[in-house]
Amino acid sequence: MATIAKPLARPRAQEHEDPRQYLMHDPLPRGQMNAMVMEAMHTTSPIFWAVTGVLVLIVLFALGYEWYILIMQGQGTAGVLRPDYWGVFLVNTVFWIGISHAGTFISAILRVLKIESRRPFTRAAELMTTFGLVQAGLSIFMHLGRVWLVYWMFPVPNERQIWPVFHSPLMWDLMAITTYLLCSTMYLILPLIPDLAMARDRTEGGWQKPFYRILAIGFRGTEGEWKNLTTAMNIFAFAIIPVMFSVHTIVSWDFAMASRPGWSSTVFGPYFVIGALHSGMAAVAIVLFMLRSTMKHYTYFIRAEHFNTMGMLMLLVSMAWAYFYFNDYLVPWYGGDVWDKLVQEYTEKGPLGYLWYTMLICNIAVPWAFLWNQKWRQTPWLLAIVGLLINVGMYLERFIIIPVGVTINRMPFTWRQYEPRIEVPMTIGTFALFLLLYMLASRLIPLIPVWEVQEGQEAHMIRKIGKAEVSTLSDLE
Amino acid sequence: MSEAITLLAMFKDLEPAAEGVDKLQQLGLNDDDMNVISGIPIKHTILGRPPAITYVSRIGFFGAILGMFLGIFFIYGIPYLYPLLVGGQPIFPVPMGFIITFEMTMLGLMGFSFIGMFVDSGFPSYTPKEYTPEVSDGKIALLFICPASEQEKFINALKDAGAESVAPAEARHL
Amino acid sequence: MATELGMPGITNQTEEEPVGRWGMVIDQDLCTGCQACVAACAMENNVPIVGEEDAGYGRYMHWIRIERLWESEDYPEVKMTPFQPMLCQQCHNAPCEPVCPVFASVHSLSEDLNLQVYNRCVGTRYCGNNCPYQVRSFNWRDYNDERVHPELVTLHNQMNPDVTVRRRGVMEKCTFCIQRIHKAEDKAKSEGRDVQDGEFTTACAQACPTNAIRFGRLDDPESQINQIAATHPSRAYRALEEVRTLPRITYLKGGA
Repeated sequence: MATIAKPLARPRAQEHEDPRQYLMHDPLPRGQMNAMVMEAMHTTSPIFWAVTGVLVLIVLFALGYEWYILIMQGQGTAGVLRPDYWGVFLVNTVFWIGISHAGTFISAILRVLKIESRRPFTRAAELMTTFGLVQAGLSIFMHLGRVWLVYWMFPVPNERQIWPVFHSPLMWDLMAITTYLLCSTMYLILPLIPDLAMARDRTEGGWQKPFYRILAIGFRGTEGEWKNLTTAMNIFAFAIIPVMFSVHTIVSWDFAMASRPGWSSTVFGPYFVIGALHSGMAAVAIVLFMLRSTMKHYTYFIRAEHFNTMGMLMLLVSMAWAYFYFNDYLVPWYGGDVWDKLVQEYTEKGPLGYLWYTMLICNIAVPWAFLWNQKWRQTPWLLAIVGLLINVGMYLERFIIIPVGVTINRMPFTWRQYEPRIEVPMTIGTFALFLLLYMLASRLIPLIPVWEVQEGQEAHMIRKIGKAEVSTLSDLE
Repeated sequence: MSEAITLLAMFKDLEPAAEGVDKLQQLGLNDDDMNVISGIPIKHTILGRPPAITYVSRIGFFGAILGMFLGIFFIYGIPYLYPLLVGGQPIFPVPMGFIITFEMTMLGLMGFSFIGMFVDSGFPSYTPKEYTPEVSDGKIALLFICPASEQEKFINALKDAGAESVAPAEARHL
Repeated sequence: MATELGMPGITNQTEEEPVGRWGMVIDQDLCTGCQACVAACAMENNVPIVGEEDAGYGRYMHWIRIERLWESEDYPEVKMTPFQPMLCQQCHNAPCEPVCPVFASVHSLSEDLNLQVYNRCVGTRYCGNNCPYQVRSFNWRDYNDERVHPELVTLHNQMNPDVTVRRRGVMEKCTFCIQRIHKAEDKAKSEGRDVQDGEFTTACAQACPTNAIRFGRLDDPESQINQIAATHPSRAYRALEEVRTLPRITYLKGGA
């Protein structure tokens, strides 16, 4: 008699997995979770203050003092020249806006798609958005020749009777980045209000009590207040997604609108958006690892399943990035425009060709090598290292597009390679400022949205279907 | 007409809270005289309450219209007022119209939704209010107004439903 | 599309190319690469002297440059290409104009030139990136300031009072010596007539020893430059014609 089914070559491991490994099925009393988050906020070690001190020094000297020199002596202290009018400052701007897209992706898109594992780290990601946009704004101011006149770019009535030019992609940038910064800050504040109310209720005295009382704006949690809050949050979740896509598309149009070979590529819009998601999600993985390692009790909130989710998303986005990059690569490679081909040859085989190879290895080879295995995806430190390499690769991608790609133009007499000068300490300063803002925020506001975690835990239950215990999610909204 | 008194009942979980609401409705209390204060948003059908009315979406929509007009002003009104020629492009460009109008519409929608949330809930408000801090620890509070003479009836009914405590609510600074 | 605002119809359609008003003809056969035009332009327009270090890095600020290229199968046996003076082409569809966010780079209707408004420039340098001819110079430092170049302070005495002296952070480029254009037009207006072709010329054309650079009116068919271009139709071309910026300078091909 023929067998009906062939036995499996390998027995399936983990027939009965413990559902309590998932945060949503491992509920604790809300009071206990609140206490854990508040304790994590208030527990600081001497190492924390030492690192903060070092960061403050770096920000003051590498960023503050050097920027003063840059403004007083002019852009000549930077490495820009003819034909490379744009340099590392623009690379930083694009990089930081890219990092900021992760926050919106996680708190908006994952919320809309009802992916429940996003619940504990939406705020950590949204903080990355806000602080990343701050660095992007600073970087764009750094590259202006006469930054004290930047207010001429703001469309407000003035005595000069002249308004800015909306034909310019830089103005679209201004509109889009302002919209995105304001909206993502508002989207950060909205779910923060109930947690500030919780902090207000759990703080007794000192300067913290009036601080949280003022910030909690009198929130109690009545039906009307929750309805207003959740309605506003839903509007934001849906509306900020197209804004997120449009912002990095508009940033890419800074380059696509230019009549430079290698820049005026029609695929830049979606290519940059995917690139932003790529670097952003890698940065979220790094931040989650650092939070889990340094904040007390966060091993309860941030678990292997969250790294697994991030790892799968990183793998997916790296494939999308590879698709778009191949699109952008194939067209000049095939021939046609001699200048496009020259740019590509210079990128690959020129003196900075090693950057191109590093970029491909970091952006494609590294995620494809490490993120297929579920066990590896659930290892926090491995995901953090992969995330770091991906961010290096994405920084190099922007560096290759801007200062390296701009070297080749239609006038060979002008070709000359860019060398970064004062941009180096100032870039380090922006990274230090980002970390510093994040560390200060971790002392002031609870980084885990506990009410959202409890809401999710209330909605999840284990149900027995047949012999299996199945996780069920009820739609409570 | 006896004077009304505000009472606050604390419940540990959703089921007793739903029963408590039920008991109050059976005793003839108006839905408007009750309010539920909780640490997480609870869908109104779970507790048997009427849906809460919010004006946030309407305010947001109004903001979107304002934003759209602002965007149209930027891209078409300004060149009409101060025309300057650049690069052989038309004075009233169409593609930029889409971009700027979209961004300003979104900014208006989200900005006004945010402000609408504050305005509709009366935030920021630092006047004394009825509240207990245990709410943010996960308990559910039922706040209701009943005639002072009948409060014994209400208190007993809620204790039957499983309330941990029922006490007069005093407005205090949060 | 002519607007109701009374401005002439400006289009980017391909059928009709507006003739323009001021233009140049540059004969590459006559150019010897002597760079007198470079020096004359720098003196006329207060172009700052950048100094050896910055110029070596590629930050020269000359508004006109002589492009010297060679072809070589085996170096040092090289074949020189004809010298090409490259300056702002005053494109009709200038790509540098729509990308400036503050209207520092605009098109003049009366002279059909591309104007750079120094005191409006914020220094984003998008115009420099977008120029296909790479003729825009940026003031990377206060090169005219005595703290940067103390040895050049006496040269300030020879600066042209008709031209602004730019400070750091401002973009600049060739203006077809617009100060000379305006002087001639003012003189002609006071005499109640139109400017004649040949009444004045730009600094580079004035200094050129072989008359390789000639400047004049484009809309006058009898003007010098139109006649020269008509005499050599097979040699006449526009730089980077495929980018369709509609430049105002006609080059005459050099070599055999």
